[in-house]
Amino acid sequence: MSRHFAGIDIGSTMTKVVILGDKIEASYIGPTGPEHRKLANKVMEEALSRANLSFKDLDYIVATGYGRINVPFADKQVTEITCHARGLHYFLPTVQTIIDIGGQDSKGIKIKNGKVSGFVMNDKCAAGTGRFMEVIADALAVPLEKLGELSLTATKPAFISSTCTVFAEHEVTNQLANGESTANLVAGIHDAIAARVFGLLNKLKIEPDVAVTGGGAKNIGLVKAIEARFKCKILVPPEPLITGAMGAALIGKETYENSVKSGETLLRSGKGLREATFFN
Amino acid sequence: MSEEKKAKTPRALATKAAASIGKFVKNNLASSVTARSEGKKVAYAYIADGQDEIMRAMDIVPGWGESFAGVCSARRDAERFLQKAESDNFSRSLCTYATCTLGFDMIREELNGEPVPGASWGGMGRPDVILGSGQLLCDPRFKWPQATQHYLQDVPIFVSNMYYPPFDPKVDHKEQEKFYVKYAKDELYACVRFLEKHLGKKMDWDRLAATVELSDKTWDIFIDAYELRKAVPTPMDTGDAMNTMVPVTFNLGTQEAYDFYKDLYNELKQKIAEGKGVAQNEKYRLLWGAGLPSWFALGDFQYFNDKGAVFPVEITYRGGEKTERLDLPKTNDPLEHIAWRWMRYWTHWYDKARKRPGSLPKVERIIEYIEDYKCDGVVFHSAFSCRSWHAGIITQANVLKKIYSDIPVLIMEGDIVDISSYNEADTHARIDAFIETLETAKKKGRK
Amino acid sequence: MTQSNNNGLATAEKYYTQFGSRARELKASGKKVIGYLSALGPVEILTAAGVVPVRLKGNVSEAITKGDAYMETIVCPFVRNVFDAAVKGKFDFLDGMMLPHQCDSIDRTNDVWSLNLNLPYWHFLNVPHVTDDPSIDFTKEILRVFIGTLEKFTGKKITNEAITEAVKAHNENRKLMRELYDLRKTNPPLMSGSEMIKVLVAAMSLPVDESSALIKSVTKEVKERKAPAGKKAARIMLIGDQIDDAAIMDAIEGTGANLVMDDLSIGAKMYWQDVDVTSDPLQGIAERYLRKLKIPTTYIGDSDNYQENLEIRFGHMKKYIKEFSVNGVILFIYKYCDPYGFEVPAIKSFIESAGVPVLYLEDEYSTSTLARVKTRIEAFLEMIA
Repeated sequence: MSRHFAGIDIGSTMTKVVILGDKIEASYIGPTGPEHRKLANKVMEEALSRANLSFKDLDYIVATGYGRINVPFADKQVTEITCHARGLHYFLPTVQTIIDIGGQDSKGIKIKNGKVSGFVMNDKCAAGTGRFMEVIADALAVPLEKLGELSLTATKPAFISSTCTVFAEHEVTNQLANGESTANLVAGIHDAIAARVFGLLNKLKIEPDVAVTGGGAKNIGLVKAIEARFKCKILVPPEPLITGAMGAALIGKETYENSVKSGETLLRSGKGLREATFFN
Repeated sequence: MSEEKKAKTPRALATKAAASIGKFVKNNLASSVTARSEGKKVAYAYIADGQDEIMRAMDIVPGWGESFAGVCSARRDAERFLQKAESDNFSRSLCTYATCTLGFDMIREELNGEPVPGASWGGMGRPDVILGSGQLLCDPRFKWPQATQHYLQDVPIFVSNMYYPPFDPKVDHKEQEKFYVKYAKDELYACVRFLEKHLGKKMDWDRLAATVELSDKTWDIFIDAYELRKAVPTPMDTGDAMNTMVPVTFNLGTQEAYDFYKDLYNELKQKIAEGKGVAQNEKYRLLWGAGLPSWFALGDFQYFNDKGAVFPVEITYRGGEKTERLDLPKTNDPLEHIAWRWMRYWTHWYDKARKRPGSLPKVERIIEYIEDYKCDGVVFHSAFSCRSWHAGIITQANVLKKIYSDIPVLIMEGDIVDISSYNEADTHARIDAFIETLETAKKKGRK
Repeated sequence: MTQSNNNGLATAEKYYTQFGSRARELKASGKKVIGYLSALGPVEILTAAGVVPVRLKGNVSEAITKGDAYMETIVCPFVRNVFDAAVKGKFDFLDGMMLPHQCDSIDRTNDVWSLNLNLPYWHFLNVPHVTDDPSIDFTKEILRVFIGTLEKFTGKKITNEAITEAVKAHNENRKLMRELYDLRKTNPPLMSGSEMIKVLVAAMSLPVDESSALIKSVTKEVKERKAPAGKKAARIMLIGDQIDDAAIMDAIEGTGANLVMDDLSIGAKMYWQDVDVTSDPLQGIAERYLRKLKIPTTYIGDSDNYQENLEIRFGHMKKYIKEFSVNGVILFIYKYCDPYGFEVPAIKSFIESAGVPVLYLEDEYSTSTLARVKTRIEAFLEMIA
């Protein structure tokens, strides 16, 4: 009888679900919205339908991310640090250092023997996160998803000295007004983020292979800037947004299999998918 | 890092003396690097800890981390050192003089003591000992040496404790002088014993006595020169003083320091005779009331000057007073003399403060300078990484306004070394607003 | 109001939640109340003077709203918070305060406190940062000055006998607290870190005899508990200065870990060292506060061997790890704190060399950032599991 596991990663902007059997059966990414619980249902439902499964087919569910405590139907909560490491290790087993650039925070994670051996987080300050990119994209009137390819056309990246998002925005608009090209400015912002992230990761011993994950990994310009700053090749997983959910699903699978081996009863949430929608 | 902006054109200095300071600073740093080859010992040390004469009398070359960090800051090459320190979990909110130098020490150690490439003005040499101090100045003066020892594990540390009585309006501090002076003296003796033990040489007490005499004279000529700035227009302002403070702060006890202030004195006398002021059109005279400056933004003094605002006087780095005013008891023991001078200087404004209800000694000093130098306003600078000099500024400003007058006050914010805290446009905007306040106050006929 | 012997924990909860309520009662009955900060406050002297010593705390759930008008935001977040509470009138039961010279954040704000609170009694005790013999002599001198000001304030002479009695009472108090701590050595511990912090906070707000009675009562109650069943979770030691709110403990213990020991300035740092009874009682007091307390603001570790210096400074932490079977350490340091901040690399590497993983957290004295702190703690516990 085949088993199915789900990992759900509730980030500040996006909620991601992975349904895992012997292999990945489905994945889905949807916006989080202000009420994690309500939207968590929808994203889960969508993923299940793509996998041709129903909620009761799931044998274990692990929630991770910023909103993990607000998922009533999750059987276990695990931090995104552990989940990203697990998921990344599945896709890129040679990686020892992970850089995760999310919407509201950035993290560095070390992996040893498939497990987390150290981590650092920057979640106090927008600089070095997706939010920083959003602010700048707005200021330059460039769609967020176009920043990467635009930066590759830069002739010479602008130098942005401010490490504070608000000050950096000023600097960018000033330089734009003084005739600097948008491409150069975007490249300059990527350099600034790479520098910031490098400073963060320096608290860990940076060992290859190094990978980037999270929303920031989808920005080719940022990845190149990070390569230049770290002076090494940077790997990117096939779908950077789902590494967390994948890790959660893998942990779910492992938890289930351990309980089978040990004979211990597996504690589940006991909550169905529907019930969540009645919560206020 | 190569892409960091180099310092802009340095501000035009008003005095030749100030312009010559670069040589002093470079020499100080270079001496710490060449010391080993010259058979001399290097002691990492920190300013205003009362240990200057002891070091000079024993031919010890001081390695002043504060000077090195200040230079890195002014040349805008501190970030890589701050990051290095941060990479080993030193918080960014700690004293940035310390974290900048620690980062440098860590890198130098990884290079086995070899010079750090591109370090400002050659960097500092590896120390043989570290002299710290627990005093009423700042905690980093004993935590920073201790943190350094984590990377330079073979370097012995001595921490002395130089206290003076805290201000209490209900207490006459003179009743406690005796045991405070005894304590300070005992600590200075302990410092000498430590150095004798670890450097294998004995103190030459006659030489020490002569060095102390010289440092007394240096304090005197330093103040004499500075008091010439009372002239209208003022021949020198704080922008220069942030340079001219170097000899009395880092070279106290040397002939060069004394000679420097003698030259400065003569230069200022000459300028006054020729009616030469700092600004073309001196409209407002300001006191720099407290705070270490942003070393990477000394150009802001030029900004003030261009608007007709000058600083004839500052509290920061005016680390001395005329010895005759301190009423020092006679003693043949040079260390006891240092202890008395230490204590009398730090408590010099206590009597005034006790006489005026609600006052504080620091505020009395501010009032004294406002009156002596005919100031129209006071500027404070609050540096975020330095609690020692900057916690209490709001209170000083409040007390000043309460007990003295509604004199215009500006409190600027930034840091000594960390440039990421600084925004030039904002700073200039604040200065502009303050100038307008000064103008209004002048029109209303307030002093 | 007397304390029942049967509900020590409930009494502790009461004095924790209504902090200062006992002091207020005692003041109404005619006692003088003197507040102080830090483990350097010489409680023996205050007790001998017949006043009620209250070690102050702030409130991590309360935002600083009034204090910033007077005190810079670069000051230690804990000091700022307590000051804010004071200017908001939360400590209106105080007749005075004494501030020991622990660190810049206290020494540089002494004037700010005294001018704004304007209390009938104020004293700044200039405790040295080093521990050599001249420092001991100096400490005795300043203690004499301190005693003089108290005598003037209370109108009562403070005899050597009174001080010796106070020393014995506080030694007893500390011994009782250590015995309570012993109950956390079991696996799982008989009381939680959350319960412990409430006892610590209650104890520091009571006169010494009432504090001792409370501790005894709690010990009796906890001893009678059946050992809880359950999986052996991580056994965590929390290191820091004044961490005094159950919210922090809950954040750690809410993940299934047990908080079994601490090296906090209202906990082990305060209770692990006694005063030697000496013929001049000030000698024993000076020696304890200067040489026996292990706090970052006192410089120790003078040997020529760095490893020895680390043992002198932090060896007690290894002892605690062994005695309480600690398998994970959380180093919780406030932002803007030079004394602790400069020690982080040394402490971290010292404890890691003993084979115990360390999580270093830098935070404010506030619950506003607690969610972020929780994620780090959880990730750490997942990592060491």
